[in-house]
Amino acid sequence: MKWLLKVIDAVRPTFEEGGKLRLLNPVFGALEHFFFAPSTTTIAAPHVRDPMDLKRFMSMAIISVVPCALAALYFFGLRFIAMVVVSYAAGLTVEALFAMIRKEGINEGFFVTGILYPLILPPNLPLWMVAVGVAFGVFVGKELFGGTGRNLFNPALVGRCFLSLAYPKTMSASWAEPGQGLIGRLLTWNVDALSSATPLAAAKQGETTSFVHMFLGNVSGSAGETSAFLIILGGVFLLLTRVANWRSVASVLGSFAVLTGVLMARGVVSEPMPTIFGSVLWHVFAGGLLFGAFFMATDPVTSPTTNTGKWFYGIVIGSVTVLIRNFTGYVEGVTFAILLGNIVAPVLDEIVVAVRIRRLRSEG
Amino acid sequence: MKFRGGYNIHLKGKPDGAVKVMPEPAILHLPLSSERFTFSDIQVQDGQKVHAGDALAKDPDNHGVPLLAPRAGTVRLKVAENHIVLEDVAQLEERADITEAQLLHVEKQMGVSGKKRIQLLSLGAWQFFYDAFTGALPDPLGTPQAVIVSTLSLEPYMTRGDAQLQKRLLNFTRGLEHLQSLLEYQPIYLVMPDITSEFATLVRNQIRGYAWAKMLEIPLTYPYDNFAILARKLGLRSHGGPVWAVRTEGVLAADRALTLTKPCTVRIISIGGIGVNAPTHLKVMPGYPLKTIKEHYVSEPAVRVISGGILTGETLADGALGIDTECRGITVLPELQEREFLGFIRPGWNRRCYSPSYLSALRMPFSERLTTALRGEGRPCVACNYCEEVCPAGIMPYLIHKYLYADLIEEVEQARVDLCVECGLCSYVCPSKIDLQTQLIDAKALIEKEKEEIRQEQLRQEEARKQEEARKQSEEKTE
Repeated sequence: MKWLLKVIDAVRPTFEEGGKLRLLNPVFGALEHFFFAPSTTTIAAPHVRDPMDLKRFMSMAIISVVPCALAALYFFGLRFIAMVVVSYAAGLTVEALFAMIRKEGINEGFFVTGILYPLILPPNLPLWMVAVGVAFGVFVGKELFGGTGRNLFNPALVGRCFLSLAYPKTMSASWAEPGQGLIGRLLTWNVDALSSATPLAAAKQGETTSFVHMFLGNVSGSAGETSAFLIILGGVFLLLTRVANWRSVASVLGSFAVLTGVLMARGVVSEPMPTIFGSVLWHVFAGGLLFGAFFMATDPVTSPTTNTGKWFYGIVIGSVTVLIRNFTGYVEGVTFAILLGNIVAPVLDEIVVAVRIRRLRSEG
Repeated sequence: MKFRGGYNIHLKGKPDGAVKVMPEPAILHLPLSSERFTFSDIQVQDGQKVHAGDALAKDPDNHGVPLLAPRAGTVRLKVAENHIVLEDVAQLEERADITEAQLLHVEKQMGVSGKKRIQLLSLGAWQFFYDAFTGALPDPLGTPQAVIVSTLSLEPYMTRGDAQLQKRLLNFTRGLEHLQSLLEYQPIYLVMPDITSEFATLVRNQIRGYAWAKMLEIPLTYPYDNFAILARKLGLRSHGGPVWAVRTEGVLAADRALTLTKPCTVRIISIGGIGVNAPTHLKVMPGYPLKTIKEHYVSEPAVRVISGGILTGETLADGALGIDTECRGITVLPELQEREFLGFIRPGWNRRCYSPSYLSALRMPFSERLTTALRGEGRPCVACNYCEEVCPAGIMPYLIHKYLYADLIEEVEQARVDLCVECGLCSYVCPSKIDLQTQLIDAKALIEKEKEEIRQEQLRQEEARKQEEARKQSEEKTE
């Protein structure tokens, strides 16, 4: 790959200060560092560094959602590819524009948003809405706060939240019947716009969706959130690499399951499955909870930094989800719950840090 | 004992346990500054002939700790900047730079313990002692609340205790007894990797019956051998008085100074790292020409030569000519030469990572070929919490980084940046490649400076108040 490095070195002056295309420097830098590791070295101690960088960090998150993305192709057709492409194109444009204005490099964080975002959208959503949503999410959810690392909200969720508030009708009419059989919808481009109710919506009307179908994923729902099995597979991988913190996941799912179980025992929440344990698990597998718990609540930037804070953060998300799902007009509450969690995250951190600092005072 | 954080970096080029004697040098370049000392008070003249063991210079800020001539020779002061050069070096009989009469005088004034302390200082053994909390040179005439003796050095790569202790076990235990004789009832904590090992059993047999020595076993994880961390884990507090800390070489030096009354000028240093062809330990003296060592051991063309370990050591500038008096090891690291293609999607079977994000997580621990590469671009903090997890001092580096970014110095102080032991692990693990260690060290220095200024200001005010009072009193008298 020496020739590529030569090409890059040859065109570099055009993008540097004084060059013709210096405005595009962030784009050039992103491309250069996509192919080649940076040439910077350490100046003082420590003289060596860990191989982990933000690119690797983010690519771990992308790898972990690949099973869900493949499942989306299988269940809802090849149109999903177009959604991903549109999501990346629209979001990257906003990201690159802001990088140019700020004269900083393009951050890797967007590459995760770009794939997570289409996975939480209804599979039949018009492509222009995909673009509008992701642009809004990146712009308001991230760039206004200063880019990756400084954002308060998860940009993918802000985008989805915006869509479901701005176009509620289209959003609820864009569900699709999942594909079946050996090749599913891998050969079809467009799914018939025939809408079908998601398991949670169906449950509100008294119909129960099979537990096994929800585990495997051939139910109606957002593109990537239907298969509990694949989400757990990717999520456990993400936890094992320690890119995601297990505490957030454990406390979201734990608090959700406990609260649902309690409400069910008191007869407040319907029991779609006969046994208590099975019905709690049914609620856990339904809708976007698992996807949100594994891939959205674990975003390190928008969740609390302290480990203790993460426990409380998960409890907030888990219990708010239960409340929204069972006691409001919405059937799905994970998006709002996590955004609410994002709001309280800095407060939780503040409290935990205050306690830690008080304890540190007596040290040494 | 239970420790927080910590992480072992496995770097290729681990020195073996052997100690090689370097050939006698013809010329010595003694640096006038080292990690803690600046020998500004020169005691010799240009062209003067000195004996081995004569004090060439002293550091007036550090209790007059001397820079001893390791060999006999002729002093040249102006040959190299910031160095004392010894020419026509010869290995003659060495002598103590303190006479029997002087020692007797000290003994009369300060007792036996005082005499021993002066002996340690003037014979060059005292420079191996550290204050556990600050890392500075403790006052030789002070009384510590405890002494920590560590046979470990866990940072890659510093001189290992087992290499220094070869055939010198007796000297070691005798040194411990000498240390004890300086104290009244204060305990000596002997820190070891394995208190059931053969060596530990031998030491235990030697010091059996001494109630003052306590053996401690600590896990072999960097930086659990750090004196500040050990002192804190032992429940010692800085307001309870100083804690002396000393490593193997210090105990051996104390034995040499007090048993034989001979100057301690020979050091065993490690030479390790990727750029070294045969990593080992060397027996050298301060001022030994770096050029000779490089010629013998450094194999690669573009390297960074570091005095100390890879995490805390300092790059030896081109101006450095000889080993300084505090050098504990030389680490040689190749410079980054080749930029990796698509590094972030490689499986990474051959690279070790703090987070198990590479395939190497499936392997047993192995040594890695590391260069000086930063291995990533600088990015804003993403709050991954790795720095807090790895921090052995229990502080929150990312939080202090954010406070510093917002210029909140008072909050930085409250977050206890002063507990930082400067181990460098936070910088090492940071995926955003933020130089946390440097930021923390700078913040510590800044806060220390501000505190000092406040103290000075208070002193000035006190002084002014006293003068005012004195003036009033004298006025009253005249009235």
